[in-house]
Amino acid sequence: MTGNVLGLGIGLAALGVAIGLGLIGYSAMQGMSRQPEAIGKLQVQMLIALAFVELVFLLTVFVVPGTLK
Amino acid sequence: MDVFLIRTTTSLLASSEGAAQAGEHAGPHMLSWVALFVYVGLVLAILFGFLAYAKKGLQTRVFKNPITQATEQVYLFIEQMCVGTIGPHGRKYIPYIMTLWLVIFVGNMVALFMPAAPTADLSFNLGLALVSIMYVQYEGMRSNGVLGHFRHFAGPKLGIALILISGIIFVIEIISELMKNVSLSLRLFGNIEGGHQAVEAMNHLGEGIMIGPLPFPIPFGFFLLPIKLLTVVVQAMIFTLLTCVYLSLVTHHEEEHDGHSHGAEVSAAH
Repeated sequence: MTGNVLGLGIGLAALGVAIGLGLIGYSAMQGMSRQPEAIGKLQVQMLIALAFVELVFLLTVFVVPGTLK
Repeated sequence: MDVFLIRTTTSLLASSEGAAQAGEHAGPHMLSWVALFVYVGLVLAILFGFLAYAKKGLQTRVFKNPITQATEQVYLFIEQMCVGTIGPHGRKYIPYIMTLWLVIFVGNMVALFMPAAPTADLSFNLGLALVSIMYVQYEGMRSNGVLGHFRHFAGPKLGIALILISGIIFVIEIISELMKNVSLSLRLFGNIEGGHQAVEAMNHLGEGIMIGPLPFPIPFGFFLLPIKLLTVVVQAMIFTLLTCVYLSLVTHHEEEHDGHSHGAEVSAAH
C-alpha cells in the first residue's frame, strides 16, 4: 500500500516539476526569439530557474521515502 | 615494490567498490571513506595531469597546444561568469570559482566512466557546499563588517514599531542561509546519482533479451550518455553560478559605487 502511494506521489511531483520546467523553457525560448541579442543573459537566468525547480523534485525523491517509513 | 603497489591498489579499489564495513561512514548515499578518497585522488590526478600538460604551451606567444587553448577557453568562460554575475569587482573571485568548477566538472566526468564518483557522494558535495557558503559569509563580513552582514539578514529598515517583523525576517533568512548548503549539495548529488540509477535501471531492462537460444543483453543505459554529458556540464556550471550569485548578493553594496564611477568614466570618455 505504502509503495503504491509513494509511486503516485513521486509521479505527481514529476508531473508538476515537468510542467514548471516546460514553462521556463517556453518563456525563455520566446524571449530569445524576440531578442536574439539577449540570449547570453537569458540562458544564465534560465539555467538558474531550472536548477531551482529541479531541486523540488530532488527534495521529493530524497525526503518523502524517509518520512513514509 | 611493484607487487606491494599493485596489492595496495587492488585492495583500495576492492574496498572502494564494495561494502563499507559497518559503522564506518556508510549509508545508502555514501561510499566508504577509502573509496571517497580514492575517487578524489583520481579526480585530482586527472586535473593536475591536464593542467601540467596545458602549462607546457604557455611559453609560446600564440598558444599552439590544443589543451592550452581549451584551458584558455575555460578561463574565459569562468571570467565572463564572474564579471557578468558579480560585477566589476568579481574578478578577484576567479581563482576560487575556477577551482570549484574544475573539481566539480572533472568529478562529474569521472562519474560518466566509473561506477561511483566523488560528486555522486553526498558527503563530498556537502563539503563543497559548506566551503562555498562559509566563503560567502566571510566575504560578506569583509565587505559590510560583521554587524552590517548580520543586519543584512534582517531585511530593509522598518523602524522600531515593526521590530517583530524584522526579527521574523532575520530568523527566516538565517534558516534559508543554512538551507543553501543542503540545496547546493543535494542538487549536484541528485543529478549525478540519479543519472547512475537511471543508467542501471535501463541496463537492467535489456538483461533478459534472447536471440533464439542465445542470451543477447543490450546495455540500454548507453543511450543515456549524451544526456548525462549535458548534465555534467550544466551541473558544474549551476553550482559555480549559484556561488557567484550568493557572492554578488552579499557584496553588492560596494558594487553600487563601482557602477556609478564606472558609468561616469564611460560618459566622460564619450
